[in-house]
Amino acid sequence: MDRRTFLAYNAAAAVTVSGAVAAHAESPDSQGRPIDFKNNLPAKGTFPEKWICGSPSCMDNTDPPWQVHWYNEHSAILRQNKAYSYEAPFAPLYFGNDRILLLDEGYVSLRTNCDLRGIVDDTIEQWCRRNDRDPASMELLVAFSHLHSDHYAAVNQFADRPNTRYMGLTHEEMVGFWGMTNFPEERVTLDLGGRDILIWGSPGHVISEFAYYDSYTQILYTGDMFYRGRCYISFWEPWFDSMKRLIEFCDTHPVTHVMGCHVEISNTGQDYPYGLTYQPDEAPVQMTVEQLRDAFEYAKTVTGPGIYFTGTVFLCNQTRSTTTIDQYPYRYG
Amino acid sequence: MPQDLAATKLTPKPKTPKRRYYPNGNPEHGYNPEGVRNTDSALPPEPRRPVMHDYACDGPAPGRIAFRWIHGSTVAATNTDPRIQIIQYNEDTFVLRQNVCVHWEAPFTYLLFGNKGALLIDSGATANADHYPLRDTVDAIIKRWAKIRGRTKVPLTVALTSGEDVAQNQGMRQFAGRPDTVIVPKPLAAMKSFYGLLGNWPQGTGRIDLGDRVISVIPTPGAHIDGVSFYDPYCDFLFTGDLLFPGRISIGNDRDFVASLERLKAFASANPVTSVMGGHIDMMFAPGQFYPRFRNFKPYERTLEMGPELIEEALIYAREIQGQDKMLIRPDFVLFNGVSPDQRTREWPEGVPRISVPRPF
Repeated sequence: MDRRTFLAYNAAAAVTVSGAVAAHAESPDSQGRPIDFKNNLPAKGTFPEKWICGSPSCMDNTDPPWQVHWYNEHSAILRQNKAYSYEAPFAPLYFGNDRILLLDEGYVSLRTNCDLRGIVDDTIEQWCRRNDRDPASMELLVAFSHLHSDHYAAVNQFADRPNTRYMGLTHEEMVGFWGMTNFPEERVTLDLGGRDILIWGSPGHVISEFAYYDSYTQILYTGDMFYRGRCYISFWEPWFDSMKRLIEFCDTHPVTHVMGCHVEISNTGQDYPYGLTYQPDEAPVQMTVEQLRDAFEYAKTVTGPGIYFTGTVFLCNQTRSTTTIDQYPYRYG
Repeated sequence: MPQDLAATKLTPKPKTPKRRYYPNGNPEHGYNPEGVRNTDSALPPEPRRPVMHDYACDGPAPGRIAFRWIHGSTVAATNTDPRIQIIQYNEDTFVLRQNVCVHWEAPFTYLLFGNKGALLIDSGATANADHYPLRDTVDAIIKRWAKIRGRTKVPLTVALTSGEDVAQNQGMRQFAGRPDTVIVPKPLAAMKSFYGLLGNWPQGTGRIDLGDRVISVIPTPGAHIDGVSFYDPYCDFLFTGDLLFPGRISIGNDRDFVASLERLKAFASANPVTSVMGGHIDMMFAPGQFYPRFRNFKPYERTLEMGPELIEEALIYAREIQGQDKMLIRPDFVLFNGVSPDQRTREWPEGVPRISVPRPF
């Protein structure tokens, strides 16, 4: 089967294998009534007051390896425990009538260390029970926001999962997974079965990065290219263009929240240094479109490498391999 | 026959010389390691009277760090190592290490015994006794030591290599109210006057008498404004805390840092030093490679002990970067002067092989 058959248009039009599209449409064994993902938008949802955020002593951490938060009935957001990986990325899990999309897999690769596969399987089973589906009939797409190991380390846990497709670990495979021929400008639509996910290129932090927009919750997922913390910008020009694309998208589409992959800042704007395993006063992961626009306005004034604070995020323009924000606290006269 | 009998009566039976009885083996035997001659291990297990140990010995008191340090685990939440690892260097010297998964700084704490009392150098990075039971651990070691040496009371002094350093002063709270305990005050002025260094800081030297084992207190500000180092003339150790250790040495004031290293160097040339014992390890066993902050898993750690020649090396390179905001990598330590503790550099020391260690899971 061609891997691009789940794409609603653009790429799906390019599929030449006859019958592939028809063969996959409306699988007969999905029992429950179809869920309407197209009306009464945006679907309401809530973020938790406080995510799990590590503990003063890592070995005394009693939180689960991943926190599973149901944003609404058909969307879960996962967060990795800081005592399992200091990167503690967020990972949305979007459910459609035919398939499920997992975005990002966290920073621990072995199931014996951190069983993301088991947690995702449980979450899918929960949803299927609620919605009268057979979990085996739901296809799982294991994708990631960008080509960094804190976002794909656990992909291998899904290798033997039936009815699952996972993204490859090269730029070509990633772009091919979404059937893109014109990265990063091209915007493709992924059909989860009545629920459309819009995907386009968002390079800048790394070249191989996507932005994901869920038309149901209208959450814009911006990966590591724009998140509540230190946006490490490796390539300024592509990043700036990606910001432009995000702003243009927000001009033409309703967006409820902008959401990144990590949180590295306190709710008072204090920087949590790289690698910290306890962030008690963490800022929320979701941002407003206004904050994105402000950051873009700020970015227009940036002319050279350095660290800039937009009020929401730190723009670390080409500084990753040289310096960071914080200072040695015991310096004296 | 009777003549023979008389002859035997006249010549006394040759007497075997009276020898001391060694239940655990004679320490004078050549096959024993050096240190045996300096232990009390042949004593009866529960002496009735206090045993006075002889701390005078030729050269450094022998001892060994016979194990690898616990170094965390890939997933910190599921770590099962002890919260404090104890290595008994010799009968009167203990090295304690905080579990890397309790606190990433994983500081070392030293417990030294003398005939009149014990000294705890530094106190770890965690105040919560459930996470880091330093007080209970120290109490247990002291109790055991007191039993072996026939003591009922062992006065304890708790001293810090830097009062302001949160990676070393947190466990101190657990000792508040402990009987027979003197805690060296944290504020700079109070600390100076405790050691009698008010008038001659930082040139002077203070002393802590543990009973036949007198620990010298050498003011070494530079990493911290209130930094001190301790010298143990029994093991010939210099305990330098954050001033000099195999890791990322952040300099608080480069003028003081250079001056302190100069003082240490002078001290080390006037007194025998076998090892410089720092407060942490960040370096890997590959030269110049080190762990960044906040890591809970450090499988490739370098050993803790540093040779005294590294004082000289640190001094040379501290002088080199004095007045500049930069970091400098050396095989056994890294200096950060006026830059972020996460600073990176592309400069690599000349002639040092660049070995990249494998990445753990």
